[in-house]
Amino acid sequence: MGGPTRGGRRAAAMLGVAALVAPALAACGAATDDGIVINLYNAPEQNLGKVVETCNQRAAGRYRIVLNTLPRGADGQREQLVRRLAAHDSDMDVLGLDITWTPEFAEAGWIREWTGRHKEEAERDVLPGPLASTRWKGRSYAAAKNSNVQLLWYRSDLVDQPPATWQDMISTAQRLQQQGKPGTVLLTGAQYEGLFVNYNNIVGALDGHILSEDGSRAVMDDATVKALEVLRDFARSGVTSPSLTNQREDDVRLAFQSGNAAFQINWPFVHPATKAGNPQVFQNMKWAPLPGVEPGKPGRATIGGANYGVSAYSRHPEEAFDAVLCLRDAENQKFQAVKDGLPPTLASVYDEPEMAEAYPMRDVIREQLRDPALRPMTPAYQNVSTVMSTVLSPPSAIDPKATADRLREELQAAIESKGVLP
Amino acid sequence: MSATATPTAPDESTRRSGRHRLSEGKRAERRLGWLLCAPAAIVMLAVTGWPIIYSVWLSLQRYDLRFPHEREFVGLANYVTVLTSSYWWQAFGVTLLITVVSVAIELVLGMALALVMHWAIVGRGLVRTVTLVPYGIVTVVAAFSWRFAWSQDLGYLARLFSPEGAPLTERASALAIIVLAEVWKTTPFMALLLMAGLALVPGELLRAAAMDGASAWQRFTKVIVPVMKPAILVALLFRTLDAFRVFDNIFVLTAGAQGTSSVSMLTYNNLIKGLNLGVGATMSVLIFIAVAVIAFVFVKGFGTAAPGSDRDGRR
Amino acid sequence: MALTGGADTTARKAKWWFVNAVVVVYALVPVLWIASLSFKTKETINDGNFVPREWTLENYRAIFGTSEFVRALVNSIGIALIATAIAVVLGTMAAYAIARLDFPGKRALVGVSLLIAMFPQVSLVSPLFEMERGLGLFDTWPGLILPYITFALPLAIYTLSAFFREIPWELEKAAKMDGATPAQAFLKVIAPLAAPGVFTTAILVFIFCWNDFLFAISLTSTERSRTVPAALSFFTGSSQFEDPTGTICAAAVVITVPIILFVLFFQRRIVAGLTSGAVKG
Repeated sequence: MGGPTRGGRRAAAMLGVAALVAPALAACGAATDDGIVINLYNAPEQNLGKVVETCNQRAAGRYRIVLNTLPRGADGQREQLVRRLAAHDSDMDVLGLDITWTPEFAEAGWIREWTGRHKEEAERDVLPGPLASTRWKGRSYAAAKNSNVQLLWYRSDLVDQPPATWQDMISTAQRLQQQGKPGTVLLTGAQYEGLFVNYNNIVGALDGHILSEDGSRAVMDDATVKALEVLRDFARSGVTSPSLTNQREDDVRLAFQSGNAAFQINWPFVHPATKAGNPQVFQNMKWAPLPGVEPGKPGRATIGGANYGVSAYSRHPEEAFDAVLCLRDAENQKFQAVKDGLPPTLASVYDEPEMAEAYPMRDVIREQLRDPALRPMTPAYQNVSTVMSTVLSPPSAIDPKATADRLREELQAAIESKGVLP
Repeated sequence: MSATATPTAPDESTRRSGRHRLSEGKRAERRLGWLLCAPAAIVMLAVTGWPIIYSVWLSLQRYDLRFPHEREFVGLANYVTVLTSSYWWQAFGVTLLITVVSVAIELVLGMALALVMHWAIVGRGLVRTVTLVPYGIVTVVAAFSWRFAWSQDLGYLARLFSPEGAPLTERASALAIIVLAEVWKTTPFMALLLMAGLALVPGELLRAAAMDGASAWQRFTKVIVPVMKPAILVALLFRTLDAFRVFDNIFVLTAGAQGTSSVSMLTYNNLIKGLNLGVGATMSVLIFIAVAVIAFVFVKGFGTAAPGSDRDGRR
Repeated sequence: MALTGGADTTARKAKWWFVNAVVVVYALVPVLWIASLSFKTKETINDGNFVPREWTLENYRAIFGTSEFVRALVNSIGIALIATAIAVVLGTMAAYAIARLDFPGKRALVGVSLLIAMFPQVSLVSPLFEMERGLGLFDTWPGLILPYITFALPLAIYTLSAFFREIPWELEKAAKMDGATPAQAFLKVIAPLAAPGVFTTAILVFIFCWNDFLFAISLTSTERSRTVPAALSFFTGSSQFEDPTGTICAAAVVITVPIILFVLFFQRRIVAGLTSGAVKG
């Protein structure tokens, strides 16, 4: 039996060589740092790079923020972050987090708690909705970066008055189609979080509950069943785009921008983007609060947005906290509101005089933010979202009662993280 | 597996050779044999054997990286969860469907391609060379090519066949495109395996059959196919097990949306997206069992000669 | 082989050329399509034309200007080469033993490698993910090299032992009788005979490692070790509102080039390797 042992040693030696050689080769790409580097990971935002520059100047050599761009879709962003955090990657310092991830990241111990001076500064002047999204179990885990809320965008050359209800909107669109005019209603109907947000808007307008208040039980009350019906009826009304089940935020923006639609439900980034993309359509692009379901009762919009968290594995947490405070300060929030269309989280920014012209939707946005539709707060949010978008897609196949029953069952398993993810 | 087999084997052969002791040369040969095989055997066992045992252990736990404090032993609960999940069975069905349909198409196309490569009187080198392109190309690259070809606006195939719709977001058409991508990529491999079998068909036999007035089709079914049967079965076994693992194409083409997940895709999603190691490991074990069953059916049911099984007989 | 006469050869040839053309179209169209997309300009990439109307090298310039792609390319090449080298060395040793020596446990080894060849790789992803996290191998080169070696070994062992069995080993004995030392006999007689088989195996193993996606995407998380196939799906457009289609295609073309070169120069060897290893073996 001497053979195998000796051979084993040889194999081990050989693997050892490979193990030694490989990291040496791999290391040559790593940044050799002169000074502290704070790695920021964030979703692509056109002008975030300029904000980073501003903050680097202000840091005056104490640290240097390096912007790393994550994929465009929220799912892809989360997947990248989570995988590295699970491996205790210390090369990430500041994380741009969708507001729905705070409970998950906090519960898993991936982001640091905010305390003392940092916390105080991060929470000052923040609107209540965004502030709630930075907390989990009574503690603070993030700094509100920007808020977000969808609006109904419409073409004032086709529609005089924005519709107050979904039914209004559908019949207006049908009328336009009969007149041979572009009468399409665009929304994010692909099988992803965006589809759930649309459903959540409708549920909000009807005061429905998907989960119980504390997020521990799947409820799916009558109002949510009604909301399923509204979504299905819309999908079958003939006013949707043929590629409804393929469209995400930017597909919707592009389709509207090309002039073939009367309405789109989308985030405020479309304002600067359409201005640059098609000034002609932009001229007639107006905005309104989301439609409701019952006459006389206004619609509600799902609150979105992003927070900055500091990675638990960061080697420079002090500097990372400081960097965050700079990245989301009033001046930078205003800059990104105007340039990237991102709604601020600081109340005072809305009141600044130059916002009136540069950010004309500010009043409607603030109004919507006053009483937004909330998404469930649970560490298993990813599971909830995946189940919701899978079951809701395609919306035309919804069978309200049966779909609600199925959701109730699968959501329960999802929030306990016990079920199988689709 | 061989770790247990190796120690017992020498005992047996010692007993067999019984009274006459092994010659010095014989023993040196043995030692050299083991020495030479050991590194390969150790690597293979270390990277597959131990993880398999480990994944069985993981599959008996509730272990979700997002709830690190809730890790506990749960027995077979994960198996109950997975085996009662409609998503698992849907993915299982999709995997079987893709496997059966694509392997069936590949067999027909691969046979045709093998005949062309074998009997072409002109440009044989050319045909063989281009055939290797789909075999060699990175699956993900090919998958992106298909995705862009079928994307709305962007793609030439989408414009041609489906100007209004979005074929990759409809379940039936998406599955068809996945099968297309699989077939395109792996038919050449199938054809090469079949061509090797075709080379074993004796020319005189075909000429004799032709003399006896057998038509081309009769020659094919009565002479070529029977002689090639072992090669065909091996090719089918290889490709079936390979197709059952389908992942790359689905990841790129649909990411499993609209009920197009395969079991591999589902495992990946639960593991990497859900970070649920317990459920992910459970699926790993189940897939392993499924593959073992398929291999068993081929080997016992159809009498497929496992490649390499004639090895000792030959020496 | 199936020749019957000379009179109709022109017609037959024409028929065969037609069949060949069908095969060529089948094999090359998807490759040409992705190449075509990679040469299209931003403005025309959505035109759906098979042939670009305006040509540009912008996408190639873009990918070689980012560390995202260059690092991935370095990773791909390095990881595939190291894995290939180790797998071929270990495979050669084992295959030589299997083809030439008689020892107990041989069948077991063949059986195990056969099992691994058919193994569902996804079954290893969960345990390897967890084990590599613990060992600090996650997102490193060895973290990918190890599974690649493992899955390449069966391929290497089959192909090589099939080649080795064809080698006329008596020549070695003859050389020794003529007074050559064992080392000389091996270097002068056997090595040249074995080299083509080893080389062919190396190509097949390299293609296998180059191709992998599942391990690459599951066991890496950063540029440190992410290979090109995995990096492709993480490309971000140059701006927020732009799909990275052009750059994905350019990167795809770059990693297809080595494959095309292999196929062009070593077609005969690859065919021989695949057929002998899988069927005769």
